[in-house]
Amino acid sequence: MSPARRVALALPAGLLAIGLFVASAHAASLVKIGALKLTSSAPLFIGVDKGFFKEFGIEPELVFFQAAAPIATALATGQIDVGATGVTAALYNIVLGGEQIWLVADKGREWPGYPLTGIVVQKELYDGGLRSIADLKGKRIGITTLGSTFHYSLGNILEKSGLKLEDVRVVPLQTMPAAIEALKGKQVDAIMLPQPFPGTAEAQGFGKILFWAGDLHPWQTVAVFFSKKFAADRQRAVAFMKGYVKASRYYYDAVLVQKDGRPAPGANYDDVVRITARYTEARPEVIRLGFPFQDRNARLLVMDIERQMKWWTDNGFMKRTIPLKGIVDTSFVEEAAKAVPEK
Amino acid sequence: MLCPARMRVIVDGLSKTYRDRSGQDVVALDGIGLTVEPEEFVAILGPSGCGKSTLLNIVGGLLGATEGEVLFEGARPAGQPLTATVFQEFALFPWRTARGNVEFGLEELGLPAAERRDRATRFIAMTGLEGFEGKYPHQLSGGMRQRVGIARALAVEPAVLLMDEPFSALDAQTRTLMMEELLGIWERTRTSILYVTHNIQEAVYMADRVVVLSRRPGRVLEVVPVELKRPRHEGQMGEPGFVQASERIWGLIKSQAQAALVEERR
Amino acid sequence: MAVERVAAHDRAAFLRRADHRLLRVGALVGLLVLWEALTRVGWIPALFLPSPLGVIRELGEMAASGQLLVHLEASLRRLLLGFAFGAVAGVAVGVVTGFFSRAEAVGQPLIAATFPIPKIALLPLLILWLGLGEPSKVAVIALGVFFPMAINTYAGVREADPLLVRAAVAFGAGRWSVIRKVILPSALPMIFAGLKLGAGTALLLLVAAEMIAADSGIGFLVLHAGNIMDTTKLMVGIVCLSLLGVLSHWLLTRGERLAVPWRHTS
Repeated sequence: MSPARRVALALPAGLLAIGLFVASAHAASLVKIGALKLTSSAPLFIGVDKGFFKEFGIEPELVFFQAAAPIATALATGQIDVGATGVTAALYNIVLGGEQIWLVADKGREWPGYPLTGIVVQKELYDGGLRSIADLKGKRIGITTLGSTFHYSLGNILEKSGLKLEDVRVVPLQTMPAAIEALKGKQVDAIMLPQPFPGTAEAQGFGKILFWAGDLHPWQTVAVFFSKKFAADRQRAVAFMKGYVKASRYYYDAVLVQKDGRPAPGANYDDVVRITARYTEARPEVIRLGFPFQDRNARLLVMDIERQMKWWTDNGFMKRTIPLKGIVDTSFVEEAAKAVPEK
Repeated sequence: MLCPARMRVIVDGLSKTYRDRSGQDVVALDGIGLTVEPEEFVAILGPSGCGKSTLLNIVGGLLGATEGEVLFEGARPAGQPLTATVFQEFALFPWRTARGNVEFGLEELGLPAAERRDRATRFIAMTGLEGFEGKYPHQLSGGMRQRVGIARALAVEPAVLLMDEPFSALDAQTRTLMMEELLGIWERTRTSILYVTHNIQEAVYMADRVVVLSRRPGRVLEVVPVELKRPRHEGQMGEPGFVQASERIWGLIKSQAQAALVEERR
Repeated sequence: MAVERVAAHDRAAFLRRADHRLLRVGALVGLLVLWEALTRVGWIPALFLPSPLGVIRELGEMAASGQLLVHLEASLRRLLLGFAFGAVAGVAVGVVTGFFSRAEAVGQPLIAATFPIPKIALLPLLILWLGLGEPSKVAVIALGVFFPMAINTYAGVREADPLLVRAAVAFGAGRWSVIRKVILPSALPMIFAGLKLGAGTALLLLVAAEMIAADSGIGFLVLHAGNIMDTTKLMVGIVCLSLLGVLSHWLLTRGERLAVPWRHTS
């Protein structure tokens, strides 16, 4: 073959090879993030919208779910790399059942003064005098599923008021929209749902927010999880975490900073409201009601994890607790927090 | 029987026309006239499609006549029906035991349970069903089933017993035995019997008179008397009276039967 | 021509089917053993398909703690109530539309129009009308049972042997006697066929109803166990459902054998 011909052949072959390499690299850095269309996912929306993940070489793809448990399953089967959702019994049982997923970062806590999950009662019942947790005795309370974060909140809140789960009628309604409909149709007396649903219910006039769960029982509610495979890919996992930490700080500075003991709008507040409203498809006025609390650097409240597992075990949702090192890995968020500079 | 009915059946100018599948009028019976005296055993015989079953159904109140009438004349105690039927295919209720079947007509007569039970027991015994009254029809042989059919019809103590080819569905040997039995029962009860058959020997053996019908439209060709002493027995089958009556009847219907053979079924 | 001497042999032997009882049992046991082995070795991840022994152990624990009884009782209650309502209504409508031509003219088109609707699709509507509690669950099961019962009873009534109806009338039965004593017993085999069909549908609808808004029941157990990723409990629920299905079929077959001794349809 003549030299000229060799070059002529090599060129397209080379281009093809480069093209394939670039494409696979592109596909390789695509990270599937499972999330719910809730205010609590705001840091993720921010990270995607403002390109913070891209900054560290990660292509994010948001995959939306209707409830927390399916996200856990998708993580276990590797359908998604990162899950951002409520810490539920399902999650713990997946690990107990032999499939490894990792709790790696904070994404929302029930915290005093910061609305995340609200107990919303029928407007008529509120007007009729239903004002305290004790008044909920014997009532029908709608949640998504048993074993969800709402179930956990409800149980602990009742216990703090001297009641038990058996003192109310818990009605599982499978999805959040279904729960809203059930309250509207008066098929349940109250529901426990996260923002923006409580705000919507009040705005539309059929519900009244009785309490925010965080005021009554604070806990590590929502977290970021890594699938086993993604966690093993250290370089990309840390890169993702860097983007997430940057987004967390942006979020915290915008909506969680307190002034005179109450959260007040900070830097880029309107930007965050806009982004959140866009991704959750809720009205901005409703979003403005409040944002859930999370650590500025997205660090986990590790000790609470142990308490949760004990509660689920005591209530028969888990057979036994898991040793923390078998489920929690804070090394990613620590490494990222150190590496990302403050702007 | 405590107080048997003594009735005469008069069939006068009886005609029956019906519409067949293609919408055409078919004359099944044309001006039938005959009588059945009290305690008489009358056979009706004819080739296929001569309307003998139709005639029986009209007498039994299961069909209406187009012209003419059927009259029952005589003494009938209260609560005793005019007719009862024994069917060729037995028509037993498979979900009832033999006793249950026998008691059916008695239930429809409104008799109290104790009386139903006693009457049924009597006729069960008379028809040789003792020990089998608890069995279901599917557990019984053909001959036994027809015994139930006969007991069921007799139990209501009708003025006239209508029998529509009752032994045609049985094998020849059972048939012969059942014929003997029927005659024995009839000797005791002496109900008038109107007996439809296509079998000449059967008709001559059993009946006092044989009404011979033509093929469709059914008309009475002749009424052939049977001059044989009662009680009838097998030995009489060779006697001149038997043979003559048989030959006479066959002579009447042979050509009819041949024509009926090649006729299309409508 | 050569003279030969050949023995006849059974050329139809290949058509006969043996019972293979040992093979039946062996196959099932073998499958379970293989499954258990694969789970132990790790080829089947325990989270996605729990081992048979694990399921049996969980079953035992749930039975001992009384948990299982709570769920079984809730499911059985809904199943039996819905079944009872649906079956009684279905038989009544089937008899009326089968026997009375005007009722048929009104009822048949209605049934034909509504029968194809998958009853699961009606569940949200029923919940809207009747609430999230027991009534909507029982109602959807009743609806699911109603249609096969009505349709099968109708067919059974239409199929009633006209000879038997005629025989009943011949013995004095009026309209209601015929319905009660001939039509209904006649229709029993078809009614039982309808019951078996209804049983399958009922179980399906029970699970659907319990998955939408319930806090007890086997369907709820399956859903709940799935939600919290307790796949062993999930399998226990599935096993229970399977047993429920097998048991109801067995009961109906036995019941049929007792109630309809003159015919076996299974």
